[in-house]
Amino acid sequence: MAEKMELNEVEVWDGNMAASQALRQAQIDVVAAYPITPSTPVVQNYGSFLANGYIDGEFVLVESEHAAMSGCVGAAAAGGRVATATSSQGFALMSEVLYQASGMRLPIVLVVVNRALAAPLNVNGDHSDMYMGRDSGWIQLDAFNAQEAYDMTLMAFRIGEDPEIRLPVMSHQDGFITSHTAENVRPLSDDEAYEFVGEYPAVNPMLDLANPVTYGVQTEEDWHFEHKARQHHDLMTKVFGKVEEVFAAFEKKTGRKYNIVEKYDMDDADVAIVALGTTVETAKMVAEKLRKEQGIKAGVVAPRLFRPWPHKQIIEALQNVKAVACLDRSSPNGAMGALYNEVAGSLYQCENRPVVTNYIYGLGGRDFTVEHAEEIFKELAANAEAGKPTTPLQQFIGLRGPKLSFY
Amino acid sequence: MKYLGWDELIPGAILFSFSEEMEKDASEILPEDRPYAETNSHEAYVGDWRVLKPVYNRDLCIDCQFCWIYCPDVSIISRDKKMIGVDYDHCKGCGICVEVCPTNPKSLLMFEERIDNDDALAQWPEKE
Amino acid sequence: MLEIRWHSRAGQGAVTGAKGLGDVVARTGKYVQAFAFYGSAKRGAAMTAYNRIDDEEILNHQKFMSPDYVLVIDPGLTYTADITANEKESTKYIITTHLSKEELLESQPKLKGKEVYVVDCIQISLDTIGRAMPNTPMLGALMKVSGMFELDYFQNAMKTVLSKFPQKIIDANMAAIERAYNSVK
Repeated sequence: MAEKMELNEVEVWDGNMAASQALRQAQIDVVAAYPITPSTPVVQNYGSFLANGYIDGEFVLVESEHAAMSGCVGAAAAGGRVATATSSQGFALMSEVLYQASGMRLPIVLVVVNRALAAPLNVNGDHSDMYMGRDSGWIQLDAFNAQEAYDMTLMAFRIGEDPEIRLPVMSHQDGFITSHTAENVRPLSDDEAYEFVGEYPAVNPMLDLANPVTYGVQTEEDWHFEHKARQHHDLMTKVFGKVEEVFAAFEKKTGRKYNIVEKYDMDDADVAIVALGTTVETAKMVAEKLRKEQGIKAGVVAPRLFRPWPHKQIIEALQNVKAVACLDRSSPNGAMGALYNEVAGSLYQCENRPVVTNYIYGLGGRDFTVEHAEEIFKELAANAEAGKPTTPLQQFIGLRGPKLSFY
Repeated sequence: MKYLGWDELIPGAILFSFSEEMEKDASEILPEDRPYAETNSHEAYVGDWRVLKPVYNRDLCIDCQFCWIYCPDVSIISRDKKMIGVDYDHCKGCGICVEVCPTNPKSLLMFEERIDNDDALAQWPEKE
Repeated sequence: MLEIRWHSRAGQGAVTGAKGLGDVVARTGKYVQAFAFYGSAKRGAAMTAYNRIDDEEILNHQKFMSPDYVLVIDPGLTYTADITANEKESTKYIITTHLSKEELLESQPKLKGKEVYVVDCIQISLDTIGRAMPNTPMLGALMKVSGMFELDYFQNAMKTVLSKFPQKIIDANMAAIERAYNSVK
């Protein structure tokens, strides 16, 4: 029997420690992992908890991230609670198996500490790996600080493992800015956390010898389309309700309220930044400041759930503003940013279409400063005033050299 | 097999081996008594994939079980360690059973599909 | 919001120091951040670590900082690192050196006219802890200069933070904190 850990009411944890504590408290059966910066400490802390008797489950050291996710798929199909962690190149190497996991409807939890993708090699945070996962059939939850990294990771188990859902979940946090920044975190006690996550509800486990089952079948054009449609249907119709239900249960337990799309200062906002990760909080602080100092009715909108894409909630949050800036922390490499495309696609369906512009920022950990956020809000105010874009549609900010912009 | 719509599928594209839950491990139930599911490959006839078929000669067989062990498609039928014959619904004619048979002459030999098994037994070769 | 920048060499414990400070401060109900700039940092490479402390939840995640305190825990960095970067008029400097304040200002004129305090964290840690580990003594000096916490309170809180270490090491750190607290000028 695993030992319990005494935790303080307020711990000072970085995002990695927050995630590894959530994994420990969920009492996972199998973790198969191959550590990579900046998510290494998630796995390292977990290994240390195991060695010190705080964990009963199996910890499998494998030879690559491809093998890590493969091990997770096997263990999950066998009927266990399963999780691992990765970043960047490791995420990329895992990507083939990500589709296997979601297609087999295995509720694995993957802590993704977001990091840039090479080349050139870079260990710092951006959202390239998170964006890479967006068509993989996983549920993607995004944390904006260390507390949320803990909360989202705990909730990921309850959301994904629900027999109605049975889908794998990524719990994202920003590399270094969250993962290596120690902040105040209020954890649940071990008992409370496990009670919240609950016993693992095994569904069609391979180890049930009285009811043998095959995972990983081949389907050609006669069956494949229907299976993919079934998965997409469940993502589009079942996940939103379940996420709201789990968020509500979590609020009841902790007082911390989460929403599928987070809105800050949006009640009467004219202009809004849409962003992911730590940028949301910096932008929120700047919106408050600009309201006080310059009377700009600024707000911030942030998808807490990136996949499935909260189409309705995004329309609801943004339909009454005049100008929106979508901030993408990933090189779009020949297109508009992903967040811009998603938000613009949703807003095309509402009557009052706000002016939508796109900013590319923060690649490879480049600082997103208060000054940047102020500049964006001011450009948005001008767009709102003019009723049309007063800037190019896509602009790079925080970049050296001549101004880079398109359209 | 009936083609199902997307809403009729089991999530995860998983397939159950049997149509009902069993009281004991399948290895303790004889194949003919197992409630194979419609989607189980046991229910699929693939006998026509063969070009040559193995014919079994009971008079020569020593029940060593080599063919039963080596058959890659579980198509050698054996009960209580006694060889019975070949499952022609699933045998694909690879010839491995003939290759591993240790008797002289062999107790399993490949013949063309069109040759009747009795005729095949009548033309069995002599000991070398 | 109180903001602190540490200048250190990788391996001297600036990250541990920043996290330790965060740990102590968080126990008083305040909000903290402790972070560092990482790259391909090897032991001995110059690096910076940071603290933010506030009564309210800290939303600012930018790395840019105009610090209220600059803590230099390696003597050489006063001359080779850009320790006055993004300073404000009110920025206070606490610098590890064996020199007197006057000698230090002569040797590094860009610190002239600023609020500078000196303390020999290297010597203190060699005398008390037995090796050059200047992070905890710097925290003692910071307590004295900032008046953030009384010495007794801070030492007690640090004992809890260090509780996983053997008693001998805890005692040595307490002695280092106290000596730096009393000798910073």
